[in-house]
Amino acid sequence: MSIAIELKYTARMLLKKPIFTALTILIVAIGLGLTIYAYSILNNLVFKPMTLNGDTEIVAIEAGFDYNHQFRQRPDPYHLQLLDKQSGLFEQLGFYLEGTTFAGGANSSNAKLAIARKYNATYVSWNAFELAGVQPIKGRGFTPEDFHNGAESVFVLSYQAWQRDFDGDDNIIGQMVPLDAMPSRIIGVMPEGFAFPQFAQIWQPLSSLGEGYLSPIEASGRSVYGMARLKPGVSFSQVEDAVTTFNKNIIPELKKDFIWRLTNDVYLTVMPYKHASIIQYYNVFIALFVVVFLILLLACINVSNLLLARVNERLKEVAIRVALGIPRKRLIMQMLWESIFICITGGVLAILFAAYGLEVSNAVLQQNFSVQGDKPFWWQLSLDNSAYMLLLCSVVLMIIITGLIPAIRSLSGDFNAVIRDGTRGSISKKAANAGKVLVISEILLSCVVLVIATILLVTGYSAGVADYGVDTDKRLTAQIQISPEKYPIRRNTEFEFQDRLARSEVLYKLKSALEVMPNVDAVAMMSELPGRGEGTSYFEIEGRPAAVYNENPYSNNEGVVKDSWHAIGMEMIAGRDFDHRDRDPDARSFIINQSIAEDFFPDGDAVGHRVRRVHRNREPGDWSTIIGVVSDTFHGSTMRSSSAAYNTYSLVDSWGPMRMSVAIHYNGRYVAAQASLMDAVNRVDPDIGIYHIQSYDDLIKQPMLLMLSVSQIFLFCGVIAAFLAASGIYAMAANSITQRTQEIGIRRALGSPDGKIINMFMNQAAMQLIIGLTIGIGLSLLLTSIMTDTIVISETSYLLGMFGVPILIIFMVLVATFIPAKKVIKMEPSDALHHD
Amino acid sequence: MTTNNKSTLVKLNNLQKIFYTDDVETYALNEINLVVNKGEYISISGPSGCGKSTLLSLLGLLDNATAGEYHLAGHDVSNLDRDERAAIRNEKIGFIFQAFNLISDLTVSENVELPLTYRKDISKEQRKQMVLDALTKVDMSHRANHFPSQLSGGQQQRVAVARAIAGNPSIILADEPTGNLDSKNAQAVMNLLDQLHQEGSTICMVTHDPRGASRAQRTIEVFDGKIVADTVNDNTAAISV
Repeated sequence: MSIAIELKYTARMLLKKPIFTALTILIVAIGLGLTIYAYSILNNLVFKPMTLNGDTEIVAIEAGFDYNHQFRQRPDPYHLQLLDKQSGLFEQLGFYLEGTTFAGGANSSNAKLAIARKYNATYVSWNAFELAGVQPIKGRGFTPEDFHNGAESVFVLSYQAWQRDFDGDDNIIGQMVPLDAMPSRIIGVMPEGFAFPQFAQIWQPLSSLGEGYLSPIEASGRSVYGMARLKPGVSFSQVEDAVTTFNKNIIPELKKDFIWRLTNDVYLTVMPYKHASIIQYYNVFIALFVVVFLILLLACINVSNLLLARVNERLKEVAIRVALGIPRKRLIMQMLWESIFICITGGVLAILFAAYGLEVSNAVLQQNFSVQGDKPFWWQLSLDNSAYMLLLCSVVLMIIITGLIPAIRSLSGDFNAVIRDGTRGSISKKAANAGKVLVISEILLSCVVLVIATILLVTGYSAGVADYGVDTDKRLTAQIQISPEKYPIRRNTEFEFQDRLARSEVLYKLKSALEVMPNVDAVAMMSELPGRGEGTSYFEIEGRPAAVYNENPYSNNEGVVKDSWHAIGMEMIAGRDFDHRDRDPDARSFIINQSIAEDFFPDGDAVGHRVRRVHRNREPGDWSTIIGVVSDTFHGSTMRSSSAAYNTYSLVDSWGPMRMSVAIHYNGRYVAAQASLMDAVNRVDPDIGIYHIQSYDDLIKQPMLLMLSVSQIFLFCGVIAAFLAASGIYAMAANSITQRTQEIGIRRALGSPDGKIINMFMNQAAMQLIIGLTIGIGLSLLLTSIMTDTIVISETSYLLGMFGVPILIIFMVLVATFIPAKKVIKMEPSDALHHD
Repeated sequence: MTTNNKSTLVKLNNLQKIFYTDDVETYALNEINLVVNKGEYISISGPSGCGKSTLLSLLGLLDNATAGEYHLAGHDVSNLDRDERAAIRNEKIGFIFQAFNLISDLTVSENVELPLTYRKDISKEQRKQMVLDALTKVDMSHRANHFPSQLSGGQQQRVAVARAIAGNPSIILADEPTGNLDSKNAQAVMNLLDQLHQEGSTICMVTHDPRGASRAQRTIEVFDGKIVADTVNDNTAAISV
C-alpha cells in the first residue's frame, strides 16, 4: 500500500513539472542511447571475438604492422606452420591472400559478365571454410585435391555475386567462367553475408598463385596472412606467450632476406582477427570508446544535477517527512522512485535512439564502401544481447548515481533548522562545494569530448579538401587491369623486355583511343594518382650518403606513362619530360617533384644528379639520373602518416605493369566520359578490366573512408556532447547561483554593488574553468598523442581543438554564469533575502 | 506630527507599496508618513502581514516604493538607481535580521568586514581596526576566526550586530532581532541595542515582542498597511496620525 502511495506521489511530482521531467528523460535517453550505439559499433567492429560457426576464437597471425607504409606485413607460410607445430594451440591453421580477379570478358557465356567484372578475390588454403565452420549452401568447398599440381581451376562464389551476376541461377554449380581470362569452374556458393576473412566476393585456391606456396619444409620467401581457430580451452594469452617464445627462438635463425620483415625486432604477431583488420585505426576506436564513456558520465552528472536541484527545492518537504518520523530506508526509496522512473523511461527511449543510429550508420557504411566493396563482412551493426545487458547495467548504475546521491544529500541536512526558519543552514556549503565539483567535471569532460571530436572532424575535413597538387574538376578516374594471361611476362627470358613493352603498348593505345574522343581533353596514367598511393622508400643522393640508411631522404615512387602531367594539372618545372630515350631500361631516368628539388638541391641543379634506393639489409638499387622536375603533388591522404609530399616518378614502359590508374580530363557530362572510357576499352581490348570508376574527388576520399565514417560518428558525439555540456553547465551554474540567492540578498543589503557580485561569480567560474580546462586539455593531449600513431593531425585541427574548444567552453561557462547571476541580481534585496 | 528639521534623519511622505499578482493589486503599505529623528530608538509593531517588514525594507532601500517620497539624512532617496541605493545602504544603514543572515563560508571577522570591503575610502588597516572595534563592542572578538556554524544563535546575532555597526551607519534597522533567540540571548541582544542607542545610534526595530517594543522611545503601530498609532513610550505623549 505504501509503495502505491509513493508511486502515486512520484507520478504527481513528475507531472507537476512536465518540462523538467521531459528534459531529464531526454538527457538520460541521449546519454544511454549514445553509449549503447557506440558500444554496438565498437563491439561489432572490433571487440567481439570472431567465432563464426565455432565455439572458439579466430585469431590473425601476421608479421608486425609497417606503420611507414600502413601495411599489414605477411610472414612466410613455413614459419606459421612451424608455430602451429611447436605450440599445438590451434585447432585449425589457415592461410590467405587478398587481391583482385576479373571474371568474365569477351569469352564469357554470361551476358552480365560480357565486360569483365572485378571481384574482391581471396586466395585461401583448402581448409578456410572448415576453419570458419561455414559450408557452402550450394556445391562444395575446397578439398586438398583442388590444390594439387594440374588440378582444374575452380572457385567458390559469394551469395552476393551469385545473386547479382548469375541471377541466383539454381544450376550454377559446374558452370565455367573466365577468371583473368582463364576458364574456371564454379564449385560452390557460400551463405548470404559470408565474406570471410574480410570482404571476399569469390574464393580461389591459394595454389592458383603459384606452386609450392605453402611449403611445410622450408622458408620459401613467399608470404601469406595466417588465421587460426584456437583449440577449446586455449586462451588468447597462451597464444601470445607461444608467439613470444617462437619469436625469441626463430629471430636469430632468420636469414638476411627475412630481417626486413621484422618490426621493432618482432616477427610474428597474434591478434584477435577483428583487431588485426583495423590495426591502423585501433587507437582511434579506443579514443572513440573513451569519448563515449565520457559522454555517459556527462549525462550522469547532468541528470544528478537536475535531480539534486529538485532535492534542493524539496528540502522543506523532506524535513517535514523526517519530522513526522519517516524511516530512513523509506525516504531513500521515495527519492529513488523518481530516478527509477526517469532512468527506465530514458532507457527504453535509448534503445530506439541507438537502433535508429545503427540503421543510419549501416547505410553510411554501405554508401562509403560501395565503390570498392571492401567493407568487412562483419561490419553489420545491430543491437545484440550484450548491448541489452549493458543497457540494463547502465540503467541500474544511473539509478544509483542519479538517485542515491540526491537521496543521501536530502538526508544530510539540519532538518530542524530547515523547519524552524526555512533557511538551508549548514547544508548550503556542502551543496555549493558539490556544485563546484560538478561544474568542474562538466567542463573537463566537455573539453575532452569536444577537443577530440573537433580534431578528428577537422582533420578528416582538411584531408578531404586538401590541396593534393592536382586539378580534380571534370576528372574521371578508374583502375584498369591488363589481362596477365593475354599479356604474360616471360620472366628471366630474352622475351621479358619485349613482353613488358607489349603491356605498355596497351596502355598507350588506350590513352590514344581516349584522347581522340571529342569529350576527352587529356589522359593521365600512373601506378597511383596523386591523392592515392602512399608509403615511402629511402634514396641516396650520389656523393651524399647518410651514415645510416634511414637518415637518407625518402620519397614515394610512382610509374607514369608519357605525357600524363597536364591531364591532372601538373606541369614540368625544370629539365625534360620522359621520351623515347627513357624506354631503355638501362636509361634509368627519374623525375622528381619540386619539394625534393628545392629541399635537397637548393641551387636549382637537381637535373643531372643521380640517386638510388637504399633499404635496411638489402643491396642498394641501381643509380638513376634525375632528368626533370614536376610540380608538387601529395600522394596518400594528408591524414595518414604514410603519405608523402616527396614524390619521384619513373616511366612505366619498361615495367609493363598489369594495373594502372587512369585520370581522364573530360568536357561535357560525367556519364558521357564514363561511356567514352568503356568504348575506348572495347576498341583497344575488351579483356581489359575496368573498375573503381569514380570522380577524382571521390578517389581522394577513398583512403579516408573508415576515418570519415568514424569522424561522422564523432561529429554526432560532438553535437551530443555540446548539447549535454551547454545544458549541463548552464543548469549547474544556474542551480549553484540560485542556491546562493539569499547570500546575494545579504551582500546587496550590506551595500554591495551589482558589479561586485557579478565579478564574484565570474571569478569563481574562472577558477572552475582553469581547473577543468587544465585537466581537460591534459587528457585531450594524452588521447591525441595515442591517435597520432594512426593519423596525421592537421595544424588547423590542433588549433581549433586545443584553442577553439576551450574558448567556446569559456564562453559557454561565462554566459551560463552571467545570465543566472544577472537574473538573481534583478531581484530586490528584500525578495532575495526571503527567497526559499 | 513632531518633527525637528535640524535633527530629522528619516522622512517618509505618503509612501505607498503595492504588490501586483496577476490582476490583483495588494496595498502592502498606503499613505505612510513618518519622521525619525537622529538618535531616536523606535519600534514598529503590528500583526503578521500588516506591512511592518515591508516598511523596514523600504526604509532600508531593500525595495522600491510604488509611490511617495523618502528623505534620508536630508537627501531624497526615492528615485535612486541600484548602485546609488547600494552605496547608501552600505554607508548609512546597518541591518540586523531575524535569521542573522551571516554568510556561512566567511569567518566572523570576514562577515563583519564584508560591508566595509565595498567602500573605497577605507584602507585595509582601517578596516581591520573597525572590525576589531565592532567585535569588541559586542564582546565577540575572541571568536573572530570562527565560522557562523560554530556559534550559538545569540553569538551569531551579536556578530550580525557588529556587522551592522562596523561602518558607523546613520541608522540601524533591525527586523525581529530576537525572533530566533531564547530569552536569555534575546535579553542580551536587546541590552546591546540599548547600549548602542545610549551611545547615539538611531535604531528602528520591527518586533512582535511587547517587552522589546517597550524598550524603544517610540512605538509605531502598523495595521493593514497604515500607521495607526505613533506612541512615545514614556507615556508623556500620544501622537495621532
